[in-house]
Amino acid sequence: MATDTLKSTPGASGAGGLRRILLDNGALTALIVLVVAMSALSGDFLTADNLLNIGVQAAVTAILAFGVTFVIVSAGIDLSVGSVAALSATVLAWMATSEGVPVWIAVILAVVTGLACGFVNGVLISYGKLPPFIATLAMLSIARGLSLVISQGSPIPFPESVSHLGDTLGGWLPVPVLVMVVLGLITALVLGRTYIGRSMYAIGGNEEAARLSGLKVKKQKLAIYALSGLFAAAAGIVLASRLSSAQPQAAQGYELDAIAAVVIGGASLAGGVGKASGTLIGALILAVLRNGLNLLSVSAFWQQVVIGVVIALAVLLDTVRRKAGATPAAASPAGGGNRGRQAVTYLLAAVVAAAVVAAMSFLHNGSDAAARQKVGLSLSTLNNPFFVQIRQGAEQEAEKLGVDLTVTDAQNDASQQANQLQNFTSSGLSTIVVNPVDSDAAGPSVRSANKADIPVVAVDRGVNKAEIDALVASDNVEGGRMAARALGEKLGGEGTIVILQGQAGTSASRERGQGFAEGLKEFPGIEVVAKQPADFDRTKGLDVMTNLLQAHPGIEGVFAENDEMALGAAKALGSRAGKDVQVVGFDGTPDGLKAVEAGTLYASVAQQPTELGRIAVRNALDAAEGKDLKDLVKVPVKVVTKENVGSFGG
Amino acid sequence: MSDTDELLRIEGVRKAFPGVVALDGVDFDLRRGEVHVLLGENGAGKSTLIKTLSGAHRPDEGRILVDGREVTIGSAQDAEKLGIATIYQEFNLVPDLTVAENIFLGRQPRRFGMIDRRRMEAEAAELLGRVGVPVPPRARVRELGIARLQMVEIAKALSLDARVLIMDEPTAVLTSEEVEKLFSIVRRLREDGVGVVFITHHLEEIAALGDRVTVIRDGRSVGQVPASAPEDELVRLMVGRSIEQQYPRERAEAGEPLLRVEGLTRDGVFHDVSFEVRAGEVVGIAGLVGAGRTEVVRAVFGADPYDAGTVTVAGGKLRRHDVNAALDAGIGLIPEDRKGQGLVLDASVAENLGLVTLRSSTKAGLVDRKGQRRAAGRVAEQLGVRMAGLDQQVRTLSGGNQQKVVIGKWLLADTRVLILDEPTRGIDVGAKVEIYQLINELTAAGAAVLMVSSDLPEVLGMSDRVLVMAQGRIAGELPAEEATQDAVMALAVSTQSTNTAGDEAGDEEGKAPRGH
Repeated sequence: MATDTLKSTPGASGAGGLRRILLDNGALTALIVLVVAMSALSGDFLTADNLLNIGVQAAVTAILAFGVTFVIVSAGIDLSVGSVAALSATVLAWMATSEGVPVWIAVILAVVTGLACGFVNGVLISYGKLPPFIATLAMLSIARGLSLVISQGSPIPFPESVSHLGDTLGGWLPVPVLVMVVLGLITALVLGRTYIGRSMYAIGGNEEAARLSGLKVKKQKLAIYALSGLFAAAAGIVLASRLSSAQPQAAQGYELDAIAAVVIGGASLAGGVGKASGTLIGALILAVLRNGLNLLSVSAFWQQVVIGVVIALAVLLDTVRRKAGATPAAASPAGGGNRGRQAVTYLLAAVVAAAVVAAMSFLHNGSDAAARQKVGLSLSTLNNPFFVQIRQGAEQEAEKLGVDLTVTDAQNDASQQANQLQNFTSSGLSTIVVNPVDSDAAGPSVRSANKADIPVVAVDRGVNKAEIDALVASDNVEGGRMAARALGEKLGGEGTIVILQGQAGTSASRERGQGFAEGLKEFPGIEVVAKQPADFDRTKGLDVMTNLLQAHPGIEGVFAENDEMALGAAKALGSRAGKDVQVVGFDGTPDGLKAVEAGTLYASVAQQPTELGRIAVRNALDAAEGKDLKDLVKVPVKVVTKENVGSFGG
Repeated sequence: MSDTDELLRIEGVRKAFPGVVALDGVDFDLRRGEVHVLLGENGAGKSTLIKTLSGAHRPDEGRILVDGREVTIGSAQDAEKLGIATIYQEFNLVPDLTVAENIFLGRQPRRFGMIDRRRMEAEAAELLGRVGVPVPPRARVRELGIARLQMVEIAKALSLDARVLIMDEPTAVLTSEEVEKLFSIVRRLREDGVGVVFITHHLEEIAALGDRVTVIRDGRSVGQVPASAPEDELVRLMVGRSIEQQYPRERAEAGEPLLRVEGLTRDGVFHDVSFEVRAGEVVGIAGLVGAGRTEVVRAVFGADPYDAGTVTVAGGKLRRHDVNAALDAGIGLIPEDRKGQGLVLDASVAENLGLVTLRSSTKAGLVDRKGQRRAAGRVAEQLGVRMAGLDQQVRTLSGGNQQKVVIGKWLLADTRVLILDEPTRGIDVGAKVEIYQLINELTAAGAAVLMVSSDLPEVLGMSDRVLVMAQGRIAGELPAEEATQDAVMALAVSTQSTNTAGDEAGDEEGKAPRGH
């Protein structure tokens, strides 16, 4: 506990005390090093607004991590917190909107949902004797699945009154930061002062000794996992209210961020060690890093590398420090040894600082021409050739027009995108291009860009409940219809087909599916025998198609909602692809077009992503100069088959 | 290094850790074909010394010579190359591999790149034969009792062609019969010219086995004497003062029965165990390892279940398999495995002392940490725990002081019936006496003490009555006046007449008759 730290340094004052605290806490040193490095590198970093942004961006991870701290201190692990957060938020939104339950009851139900998930984890671990890793891994899947079931895969808008949780208090204090601080204090209180908190340390340190000392280990564990579920529910509500919508796919992978935050904060996965303050620092380190890397326009790919390196260095710093200095509190200073070790700690801190600074200035593509216009492009993902092509188009256009372009990758996570947009807004760009992960969820952050008078152009997907200057998009619904027509005509109006769906809950999947269903009405002879999601992913497309072929060996057609899945399906079909079975994809990616040319895919509904990127950047700059734009700029889609593939050229 | 028989010489070795000087000038030498005993209290530096020989620590100063040549031992591999093998108290064996695989771990004989199992097992069998123990090379190590594990470790050392064998308290966990067997193996090794460094706390073993003794105190070698030196002198060298009386039992007036156990049975483990302990009384439970002593006291405490019988404390019957019921009735258990079951090693002295009283000092969910700390400070002082402060990690205390912390947490809880399981195992003479004094104080204050111990002189010296267990049953009860080593041993092996007393005793399979 923080108070222990203070107690153990009585009389230490001023610089000496500060040095002690830094030496005692590697993570804090790392955070300070990072903040200093970022401030030196970016003028936009050390502003009140930006620091509050960092607070907001750290909030969800921190709240999740507080819950996970309880579990890790007691030598367990909780992998389910991200999914449980999403489930709780979904329950809240669903109860309050679809079921018309009063909001306060819905909030209670959401919290109860989190508690219940944690409780089930606890029962499985305490009484079912499952290893925590397995029990919570199962819950990770169950909770995620349930939130998809409840929401039927689509985001549910959040009730207005709860959305205030994402706002600010008194015009400046963001509510998520407030919630984080309050829950942090509660965590510190629980860990330091309560029976259950002290039991966590004993159980984590030596479970058998705790049991033989009369601690009710099983019941305590139950309570510990329930607490973790409770905090996950709180995090889910905060996350969803920031985005004004409950997303069934929200907070994916957050459990790993939370665990990283706890471990960076000095906790040991072996149990018995950990503090609330450390966890908060860990979450802040992650947030500062992401924020700073955005501000410095470090390439999206390198950001992940840098984050990984910093996680490793932060924990390394702590381990080295502990090994060197923390042995027996007894320590009647043994001559020069102590000073030597302090020197090592400082040296290591200096090396970390130097490495961070050097890496940043190396990766950060010069801000020499301050006069040049700056454009920010926030992409939903770079994990898919389609979006990589959008980026290429945008980069080409930016170079041609002589403007600076910063590209960020939200990794299909709406809340990460909110953070990145917020960083764009606070670093004073002249205009922003956004490719939303989710149209509803992008609303609040685009609204704050509106407030700052920064023009926003959306590309590929629209933004709801906010002003955008233009939407540059291909028509997905129309594309779906065109795919249905192409496949229907090829099959001569009858036969059985299967559909490979994209990631549940994404608008691309919904719209293409909807368009395809509408288009198929013209072909009553065609029967859809199966519809299964393969998450826009080639490997999953291969697996799902292989499974479907077991159940439906006689199918004649496949519609995949993107080319990647279509290519996976073609692989599964082997030599049947293009002969007995016609596969239609979507997007017209280079690989897809090659397959069309080779005949394994019958057709692909081609978008022109490079065009999308180009046009979006041009429109954004026009908007920045105050020109009037069309609300909707449609970039045509076209069915590409073997006959016309030449004119598209990979 | 004129002496051609000399295998190993250590001169002026110093090793400091942050805040502690563990070794401060140690001299030691070892000749071919001798058993050189290393004697010292816990925390005197014996472990550090053998770790510098096995490559785990590097000395800050001083020289190590092997065969007259100065060497640096930087790793376990270096030690291996020099022919130095170490058998630690905690064995370095992989439980789920076979005996043969463990012996040749990392050096398995290979053929065409694959492990040659047949050759490996044949060679293992030969080595085990040299040690003189019929352990099948294919047995899984998990299935072996502790004595046999030790034999496997010795076979492993032989497989390395060790010329120097270091044994860290090898007898601490063995029954007297197993100890005899170990001694004959060590004597055979000595005849083969192996030099043995032998660490023990049992003074009587020194005369039986050793040739020379080097005594270490506070990180210094304070004297070298022949093994025939009288015990008093050894103790004086070790402790730095003479100890008046090794077992200072002061009998208190026995009062009402506090703990009554009737017909306690767990199928296949212990049967129909009945006894009572009165207020002010110390009852010892003696017996061979594996006789079911630990199992009985754990069941009494509620840590393990039982199938039949009752446990009554001061007239109230306890719920089966419920630690908290036992606790509320005033029973406390000092478990056999101090580090594994008694302590949270990475927590502080204060936190460990407060473990049992955590619940009672909680009001409205909040723990009164100031009160807990005050109480911990009080009891630590009462017990004379030698520590830097209440915040010191328990891991860094010596064995004796760790045990005082385990006892202390029960004192704070006003325990009326204290069960001690091997209370002084691995604890030096000085600290032992302090713990015996504590037992005196407890019984004088009207508490009842039940003590399990494999250290027979301790049982005889401290108990008012001795229960002897054999094969899961109470074989007999002896009042202190009649309890002699012979009488106890006669009972301990009494019902086992059909079996050869099991060196396999740690396991249930030890009950199956097996001759060798």
